[in-house]
Amino acid sequence: MTERPNPLLIANTIDEALDAVSRGSTPIAGGTDLVVGARQGNKRLPASLVAIDRVEELQSIGLDSDGSLSIGSGVTHATLMSSTVVVTNYTALADAAALIGSPATRNVGTIGGNVMNGSPAMDTGAPLAVFDAMIQLSTVAGNRQITTSELWVAPGQTSAEPDELCTAIIIAPQPDRSGSAYVRLEYRRSMEIAVVGAAAVVTLGLDGTIAGCRIALTAVAPTIVLVDGLESLIGQAIGEATLATVADLASSQAAPISDLRASEQYRSHSVGVMAKRAVLAAARRATGESISVPVNRSIGVGSDGQRQWEAGAS
Amino acid sequence: MTSGLTSRNGVRNENYLNLKAVTLEPRPFPRADGPDKVTGTGRYAADMVLPGMAFARFKYAEISHARIVRLDTSKAESLPGVVAVITATDVPDVRYSPGVADRTLFATDAVRFEGEILAAVAATTEALAQAAVDAIEVEYEQLPTVTDVVQAIAPGAPLVHPDWQNYEVSAETEQRPNVASFSSIAHGDAEAGMARAATVVTSRYVADASHASPIEPRAILAQWEGRKLTVWSATQVPFDARAGVCETLDLPTNQVRIIVPHLGGGFGGKCGFHFEAHIAALARAAGRPVKLVFSRKEEFLAPDRRREGMVVELTTGLNADGTIAARTGTLLIDNGAYTADAAFFPQLAAMLAAGPYRIPALKIEASLVYTNHQPSGSVRAPTAPQACWAIESHTDELAATVGMAPVEFRRLNGLRSGDVGPVGQTYGEIGLQACIDSVASRLTGETGTEADEAIGLAVGWWPSFPGPSGAYIKIDSDGAGQIITGAQECGTGAVMTLRQLAADELGMAAEDFELVYQDTGVAPYDTGATGSQTLFNNGRAVLLAASELADQIRQLAADHLEAAPSDIVLSDGHASVAGSPNPAVSVAELAATAAGAELLIAHGSGKPGEYPETVGASCVGDQGVAAWASPQFSCHGVRVRLDSETGVVRVLNVATCHDSGTILNPLGALGQVEGGVLMGIGQALTEGTQYDEDGCQRNPGLLEYKLQTAADAPTITTQFVETTGGQGPHGAKGLAEAPNVATAAAISNALAKLIGSHVTQLPMTPERVWATMTDATPSDADRDATGHDTSEPKSGDEL
Repeated sequence: MTERPNPLLIANTIDEALDAVSRGSTPIAGGTDLVVGARQGNKRLPASLVAIDRVEELQSIGLDSDGSLSIGSGVTHATLMSSTVVVTNYTALADAAALIGSPATRNVGTIGGNVMNGSPAMDTGAPLAVFDAMIQLSTVAGNRQITTSELWVAPGQTSAEPDELCTAIIIAPQPDRSGSAYVRLEYRRSMEIAVVGAAAVVTLGLDGTIAGCRIALTAVAPTIVLVDGLESLIGQAIGEATLATVADLASSQAAPISDLRASEQYRSHSVGVMAKRAVLAAARRATGESISVPVNRSIGVGSDGQRQWEAGAS
Repeated sequence: MTSGLTSRNGVRNENYLNLKAVTLEPRPFPRADGPDKVTGTGRYAADMVLPGMAFARFKYAEISHARIVRLDTSKAESLPGVVAVITATDVPDVRYSPGVADRTLFATDAVRFEGEILAAVAATTEALAQAAVDAIEVEYEQLPTVTDVVQAIAPGAPLVHPDWQNYEVSAETEQRPNVASFSSIAHGDAEAGMARAATVVTSRYVADASHASPIEPRAILAQWEGRKLTVWSATQVPFDARAGVCETLDLPTNQVRIIVPHLGGGFGGKCGFHFEAHIAALARAAGRPVKLVFSRKEEFLAPDRRREGMVVELTTGLNADGTIAARTGTLLIDNGAYTADAAFFPQLAAMLAAGPYRIPALKIEASLVYTNHQPSGSVRAPTAPQACWAIESHTDELAATVGMAPVEFRRLNGLRSGDVGPVGQTYGEIGLQACIDSVASRLTGETGTEADEAIGLAVGWWPSFPGPSGAYIKIDSDGAGQIITGAQECGTGAVMTLRQLAADELGMAAEDFELVYQDTGVAPYDTGATGSQTLFNNGRAVLLAASELADQIRQLAADHLEAAPSDIVLSDGHASVAGSPNPAVSVAELAATAAGAELLIAHGSGKPGEYPETVGASCVGDQGVAAWASPQFSCHGVRVRLDSETGVVRVLNVATCHDSGTILNPLGALGQVEGGVLMGIGQALTEGTQYDEDGCQRNPGLLEYKLQTAADAPTITTQFVETTGGQGPHGAKGLAEAPNVATAAAISNALAKLIGSHVTQLPMTPERVWATMTDATPSDADRDATGHDTSEPKSGDEL
């Protein structure tokens, strides 16, 4: 047996990166999944890697001509959580980015890496799902865009072809009077992975009732899942009854496993609580109320400030 | 000198019965190892490199209980780059471990836990070593696993060690089938006391195993030069490690040198003798230096220093006035597959189950039970956080039964100065009541507890461990000093404080001294960073050496200043005649004189403090730790917040108070208490090892074994009660372990107020809290059986 270091190519442009990927290299940016996984012995490092962390074209957040938000796949969680446009208009995504790992993880880990790793416990997944984000996959031949539910097929598995590189995430503008939030169940306040989580985007009508609501759940199924049956909420005011319905819908649609972090029963129960809280925080943000990012730190048991969820429900 | 120290730290109240806790004013504490550790220039064992060194990997059992049918290393030996492969047949046939000699370096006939070592490989790279390990072939005949302490002692249970009766054990050790050691503490007639009691309360608590989790996984590098062996090791106990190497490889102590570069923490996990002999034997076989560096996973699986799981059953009889009439208890402690240093744990746990209370009739029985789990061993205050959590949760149940506030119940029943303890030991001045007062006043002094918050408290106690220890001090020609000590620094700052002790004695500055330490080849013996003993014992040695050196300096100064040595005072690095600061002569000048004549060298050891006698109590399996030398007392109080929909608990504030005698280094002492509290929060809420059905760990990694992080830390306030009578330097007692006793118990009691009953399994994870809340209804028969009053929930802001 001979030892040789894995070849590491360094791309400076998207074209260089796509070329390397077309020749079988696996892209690496922050390495927070690939390297950590390899060091823990879960999965060996691929035979050939291409570093894409120096590709500046992948690191910008901008608005397209139609008003859509375009996030380069190389944007770090630290950038996402402090980006004005993300915090203002896509707050759930900032909530999620702010909870990932530690400052060190957030400074090198990227949204593209999070999305393509395909873990059902990924924090940015549920926000992207509720925003109906499109994932842009590129090859040397061109680009295509698919939805998150088309992308994620199983734990750690995506529908992307081996020669495709995720280059951007595109999110359409949200309707007026919309707010969003991502809340997760966590056992400690940093270096944590979602036990379960929920993202919600809520749009309020002029009368303050619910005009639109989407909810996605983290770590309760093989992939991030969208909650069905939310049409019944349209026209309802945010209140105890509405939130109880939300919790019931989320809990009943969760299909979690029992593992080291939680049992199936506890996950099913608590994902309902997370969904309810995400909807409440999203609705409060939709009214223009400022709840700072991440929601987990500004409301709830781990918060340093106001913590009564019920206060907003009354 | 004692008065000088205590007056610096705070005004000592001389009234024997009216001790007060004080907040000590930390004075600046220059840590000699600080710059190295903070800037990264410090070197740890894993950083060590020697020319030509090879890399070691171990072949582990990866199965909990099996007979070895065939072990074939031939393929591994033939792989390129492999320089040595060794197994049990390559080392002396020695069965070791203090108390119960049940361990061998390598598995011989059977494996008894997943981390047992079958073979060790050295190769020119780590990857080649691992490839060779993977090429080792083992054929097993699986044996029934023993994974539950209750089932392990049931009649007919499979034996973890079929030959246990033939093992060499210390004279005091009481062995039973699947029980490595048994201890009981009894005085008075517990049965009669229980029969007379007005109320009897029974509780059962179960604690999961947990881990020391030091930041540095261990590393070892061994090198032979002729017959002489040098081992660089990340150990807390270099002399103990040396003894282990000598015993298992049959070498005299003067041929073995253990050096510890900077140590990246230990928390007890690096106490004892571990893998130094494996690597030394491998280096001898390879004919070159060999280095081992553990992965985090190995750090979880292989060492015999896990914090033991425990099942605690307690019954306490109360008189109508709320005083304790009698207590009985049974403790089953999960020993794991081998005994390591745990033979004395049953007796320690029995004392903790008695608790620091006035109990006229007592019978506690504790067994150290063999299972096919990883072995248990000394992790910071072994048995204490779990046993204290059980007994103090039980104590709040007792208080509720008689309608007393928990703090009043403890004031009524808690030990006071002059009381007689569970084994007939009469206490001198002790600070338990002052600790309770201090914590109660700070916790209840806060305004407004929200509906989702509650406060709770618990008391704890822990012994100090007198033992032999030595140090040298010398001052060279330029006046620069060196303290050459056998003591080991594991991050507590205990060794660092030695400089201050010597400096104060010699009228010099701490910075005038460099430390030479963690090297068995140059320093006299010390027990190591274990049992909170470093300052307690080595401080005594350093003080004696400094005192001897001061005499030498006074003699030189007396000649210089033409005065009597007894009239010389040492201050600010100078010697002068008492009452007339001028003329003065500097220590440096005197040292220069000495350098051309009789050198300034001194040594210290001193007689260790004595252990009190056991009086009027029976201690079966007495390991000598029932009557406690320099006992330490503590009280921890917490304010917690509960997310009632998920069971997530957050600790907001912690108030602590400790009687550890004289506090020698307030800043270091505060650090010990705060670290102990944070560790206690982890034990309370998130840290627990989960096992699969075969006894293998399911979460041997820092993602799924959840330590607390800095972001989780609460506000912690600390006071100390400086009692007299500590046997350490200037009246000090130990301190490093005591802060890791009562926190989990206090959290349990605060939480119980919010959910109406105690969570009976540790750690009290969100899911267990949620499950307890879901179960806890006033009609629940189990709750009624414990006598717990759920119909009248107590207000969260009363103690």
